[in-house]
Amino acid sequence: VARTSLSSPPWPEVKLPEPAEEAKHHAEVVQKVNEMIATGQYGRLFAVVHFASKQWKVTAEDLIMMDNVLEAECGDRIRMEKVLLVGADDFTLIGRPLLGKELVRVEATVIEKTVSWPKINMRFQKRRNYQRTKIITNPQTVLRINTIDIFPALL
Amino acid sequence: MVLLSAPRWLRSRLTDRFWRVQEVLKYARHFRGRKNRCYKLAIRSVRRAFVKSTKARREKKRFLRTLWITRIEAASLEHGLKYPAFISNLLKSQVELNRKMIADLAIYEPKTFKSLAALAQRRRQEGFLAALGDGKEPQGIFSRIVHHY
Repeated sequence: VARTSLSSPPWPEVKLPEPAEEAKHHAEVVQKVNEMIATGQYGRLFAVVHFASKQWKVTAEDLIMMDNVLEAECGDRIRMEKVLLVGADDFTLIGRPLLGKELVRVEATVIEKTVSWPKINMRFQKRRNYQRTKIITNPQTVLRINTIDIFPALL
Repeated sequence: MVLLSAPRWLRSRLTDRFWRVQEVLKYARHFRGRKNRCYKLAIRSVRRAFVKSTKARREKKRFLRTLWITRIEAASLEHGLKYPAFISNLLKSQVELNRKMIADLAIYEPKTFKSLAALAQRRRQEGFLAALGDGKEPQGIFSRIVHHY
């Protein structure tokens, strides 16, 4: 076939590695990571957690403030279940989209339940004698992340 | 006898004008010029400041999103991928991190970001092969859909 502008696709030619070799390489990597987790060779873990309709990047001894009410008393221990990503210095576990509950455990404690500083909402239209002022104080909750644990149950 | 209207020597006078004025001036104390002292100028500036802050609270969300996108674009270009390729391939591999998270990871966890870029690049290549191959399901490993039931 003659070589024109449309005879080959506009992206560069792609060659993927052999599936057998690749499966071997993947098995090696998984085994190494399993060993590291089992022997506890990781330092500080961080996790990306989906909580209160937001995603937070979280480590141990971390403070988090949510802009809404949580139905738990101060001092209650909470487990956050929707974990998207867990990482250490040498490896990361990426969830598609979530990681299993038997794999990661993120614990937090409710510390404080307050109300935000008074924010002022004002609407004003000039020359029409229209102004409305509203002071909004939304409830806030402060949580402290106690621990992030991973368990050697990979694959 | 019952008096039906108040007598003329009873006057209704405004006695807390000072405090009403101070309520407005307290929000203007850090302004520049006479509008931090004089009520007539201050009331105008304070109204504009409140209205601007109300509108800015809505714009802040848009602004932050464009900031995150710019940062993700810069970080993914360092790894040889453009932003649309990176984000679309990450979504196709069922990784649902939002832009705020990816931007934070790009700043504070460079190794994790590099692995995400590699994942997106590999999914992109499998997509190219699938586009040429016309198979039923993509042959590649990272394009397999994970089913949660």
